[in-house]
Amino acid sequence: MGKYLLRRVGYMLLVLVLLSFLMYLIYSMIPFDRARALAEEQRAAYKNDPAGFEAAYQNYRHQLGLDRSVVFRYLRWIGLVPVDGVYDGLLQGSLGWSFRYSRPAAEVLAQPLRNTVFLNLFSTVLSLGITIPLGIFCAVHRGSRRDTAVQIGTVVGYSVPGFIAAILFICLFAVILPVFPVSGMKTPGSSYTGLRKFFDELYYMALPILVMTFSSLGGMTRYVRAAMTEALTMDCVRTARAKGLRERAVIYSHAWRNALIPVITLVIGWFLRLFSGSLMIENIFALNGMGKLYITCLNANDYEVVLLLQMFYVTLALLGNLLIDIAYGLADPRVRADRPERR
Amino acid sequence: MKKLLSILLAVPLLLPSCAKADINDRIILGSSTELTGDFRFPGYGGASAGAADQDIAALTTGYAVMETDPSGEYVWNQTVVKTHTEEEIPQSDGSVNYRITIELNEGLTFSDGTPVTADNYLAYLLAFSTPVARSAGATGMAGQAYAGYADFFNYAGDGVKMDPDAPASREFTGLRRLSESSFSLEVDGAAGYYPYFYTASYAAVTPYDLGLLLGEGVTVRDDGNGCYLDGAWYESSSSGSSEALLFKKAEHMKKARYDTMTYPYSGPYTIVSWDEGTREAVLKKNDAFLGNFEGQKPTIQTVVCTRIVAETQFDQLTSGAVDILSGITGGDETKAALRLVGKGFRENHYLRAGYGKIQFDCDFGPTLFPEVRQAAATLLDRSAFAAAFTGGYGKVVNGPYSEESWMYHAAGEDFEKSLNRYDYSVSGAKQLLEQGGWVYNSRGEAYEEGQNGIDRVRYKKVTREELESLTTEEGTEATLSYRSVSNTDNIVYRTVEIDSAYYIPLVLNWFSTESNAVSDLLSSMLMNGAGTAACGMVIRQSAGDFNAMLGELRRDPSYGYSGTMTYNMYNLATGFTSPVYDYSFQWSHDPAYSGFSAVRLYDPYDRIFSYFAEDGTHERLSYEEAVRRSDGKLGMDYLSMAMVYDADTEEEYVRWWTAYIRRWNELLPEIPLYCNYYYDVYNEKIRDYRTSPYWGAAEAILYCRG
Repeated sequence: MGKYLLRRVGYMLLVLVLLSFLMYLIYSMIPFDRARALAEEQRAAYKNDPAGFEAAYQNYRHQLGLDRSVVFRYLRWIGLVPVDGVYDGLLQGSLGWSFRYSRPAAEVLAQPLRNTVFLNLFSTVLSLGITIPLGIFCAVHRGSRRDTAVQIGTVVGYSVPGFIAAILFICLFAVILPVFPVSGMKTPGSSYTGLRKFFDELYYMALPILVMTFSSLGGMTRYVRAAMTEALTMDCVRTARAKGLRERAVIYSHAWRNALIPVITLVIGWFLRLFSGSLMIENIFALNGMGKLYITCLNANDYEVVLLLQMFYVTLALLGNLLIDIAYGLADPRVRADRPERR
Repeated sequence: MKKLLSILLAVPLLLPSCAKADINDRIILGSSTELTGDFRFPGYGGASAGAADQDIAALTTGYAVMETDPSGEYVWNQTVVKTHTEEEIPQSDGSVNYRITIELNEGLTFSDGTPVTADNYLAYLLAFSTPVARSAGATGMAGQAYAGYADFFNYAGDGVKMDPDAPASREFTGLRRLSESSFSLEVDGAAGYYPYFYTASYAAVTPYDLGLLLGEGVTVRDDGNGCYLDGAWYESSSSGSSEALLFKKAEHMKKARYDTMTYPYSGPYTIVSWDEGTREAVLKKNDAFLGNFEGQKPTIQTVVCTRIVAETQFDQLTSGAVDILSGITGGDETKAALRLVGKGFRENHYLRAGYGKIQFDCDFGPTLFPEVRQAAATLLDRSAFAAAFTGGYGKVVNGPYSEESWMYHAAGEDFEKSLNRYDYSVSGAKQLLEQGGWVYNSRGEAYEEGQNGIDRVRYKKVTREELESLTTEEGTEATLSYRSVSNTDNIVYRTVEIDSAYYIPLVLNWFSTESNAVSDLLSSMLMNGAGTAACGMVIRQSAGDFNAMLGELRRDPSYGYSGTMTYNMYNLATGFTSPVYDYSFQWSHDPAYSGFSAVRLYDPYDRIFSYFAEDGTHERLSYEEAVRRSDGKLGMDYLSMAMVYDADTEEEYVRWWTAYIRRWNELLPEIPLYCNYYYDVYNEKIRDYRTSPYWGAAEAILYCRG
């Protein structure tokens, strides 16, 4: 298992390096010139001095490394090439600079990441708490009226885009029944602390959490139901029933464990999504999250932040794949990497 | 499980939402622009500073020596200035400097009670004119208009210069600290900052806390030769070449820029909380603030600045989540806003200082010729266009001006009538084109209406020499090789050569941004308009993203420009909310300034009577004298220069300004499409909330009452 993990980590690093270069290359190819943008901001100051303006532009090009090759800039970004004698890249902990916010990219990410995790944690737990029991229930009572009703409900939920659901929920719960606030993240002007702050944030997050939960119910419920339905037809389940085990034990100890393997991929994926923002939801509810930050930085050509975000997600995806493989082994001994081979 | 879920859902519901505070106590200002925390020096004064950040900066910064009134005119701040004197100082090189001496009133203090002194005004100009500020990300050009700036900026500490070959000075000779409450600023005539109509604006300096600007261990001093910063200001953690200097104070500047709590404020409000997580700022009334230029003090105790979502902004307003929505525009949005008026809300509106427009590249292709630009304007029913786009909440303007500006008011009622409105007229467009020589077909024969294929468009006959007299060498070559692009009908129109003459097709290559309502309307009303085809004009549309458009506009390869001048028509928007209306050097024929001109129009009048005559005799003329000597043919370059460099009084300025707008209206480098009304909707408990193109929410809040 140790060797397997080491090999996987080695592959991950290789993929990370390759992808980082590819991403850097792609963003370098976008027709945008940061040096020009910076110089243009000062155009008025050089209104009668075109030579001064050109010098300022060239100075910015030099500072940003735009007068050097893309490979040089990449190595500088990584931290393998010094700038004015100083190594200042990812390897040295300098994760880039946000031109949109005029501060280090890592600082820019901190608050949106916290907000996104806060939002996603509740919606994920709530969604899984509803969909897994509901999927199992539907599989066990397959064909019943209740199953049919849930199936119809999930198809509807699955088919309604998130932003439509958001608008509908706002209309219903914030305008017609003014139970929740229309948008925002806390009571305007409040300076709550401790539990009061937590509940205030929860109150403002309630509607987006409900929308996100609603939007994710359909897919997961149907997925769990399908996996469980298949598991319930397995021989081992039939055998367990034939042995006279209680139905509860059959369902949760035998069928559910077999149904878990495909579900695990999705569940771990959901938890990895804790860090990824929802562009639509965050925009509609004015939440300062990762999705909002991502689109803001893309629109502002703030590519160092975008690159950092994408590196973060690539790392998460690679780690997630590793986690899923390990989880497979835990859930199903047949797919363990260190399983002794049969001769 | 059910119980847990019920509790989870019930707890937030049971939480009482914050009790609504009285308007006198608090108003919530909503903005669709994100707050970034850059409130001390938004964008370091650069063009990219966020509007919401600037509002907060305006609310928390005060006591500027000069401020702007609602019409965008600079006025002396009587609350701050006890006396001010201005004098001309002749220099040995023949130039004249302009010294402004200011004595401050007593009793001015920052929010923490610290007295406001001359040092607080001078420290900003000094600190932001040093390489330390540049190292912190600012331009280091705050004091560029004052005498001695270049030498002062070149000084980087004892024995260290930014440019080893240029002189350097520790002292900024143009800035003088005369006493604790008085100082002088000497505007540099030799560098071109005097004479200048807006010279007084160089006195519009604002005080900042010394700790914020300079940190510990630095003071403002003046030993009689000019102000300087002593102590640790230039301390560096490295030595040697100026490029590698790492100024320690640059780190202080970077941190202080975002420090909203440590240092006091000079404006009507102070920031008491900035929540980066929710991007919300809370401001409290600064009781130490003595007023703006009119002595106006705020009455609202607390201002909360928060972000709104355009799609749900009216729900936020009606639910009490915000009290003020600013700058609402567009038909549907305005109608929705007006539906709230009288139902607990009031409105205030003003005509925007700016417009949506068609912009031409005037140095190549058919748009090189004014008749083509004028004909395009005549082929578009601009009134209908503006009504359709703004939903009836906008109008058409005929030049680059704001109807709210002081110049417009001073120009008088007849000014607007003297401008050509380019009313929709197909026959008028035809007449313009025929007058301009667009009377040929692609074979050099007489143009006939109603033809198909390549002959459906008009051509104009020119010679290379004619083109060379009208535009640059590059523009001439681009016109001779001009061809249409995005040819969806497989017909490529191009300049053809027949018997040593060239025939240019009346085809405009239009670049528009994607998913743009203005582009859609232009496509249907102009490009595919019946009048356009009837006139023998074709418009080819290409769409791309904004960066690609910037590349074409600036002809910048780093934005994807191919190196071939292709597009000569764009649609975008512009604004002129700056109180300094100065377009000098933007119409220059000098190739060095080509990047400074948005439209690249080279007025032929300027070739005949140039502002930059070798003997200098065309400068500093009165308007009447210039008209007489030019035979009434003053070009855009001349007018834009004379407007700011030759006018000494408002009356003279308005004369030049009027002529400039008229000439602009005649040459039409842009077609103004719509000028929309901006609406503010706010809680009816708020009174006296008044905005203008030059006065935003920050100024309005100062005057409003609960």
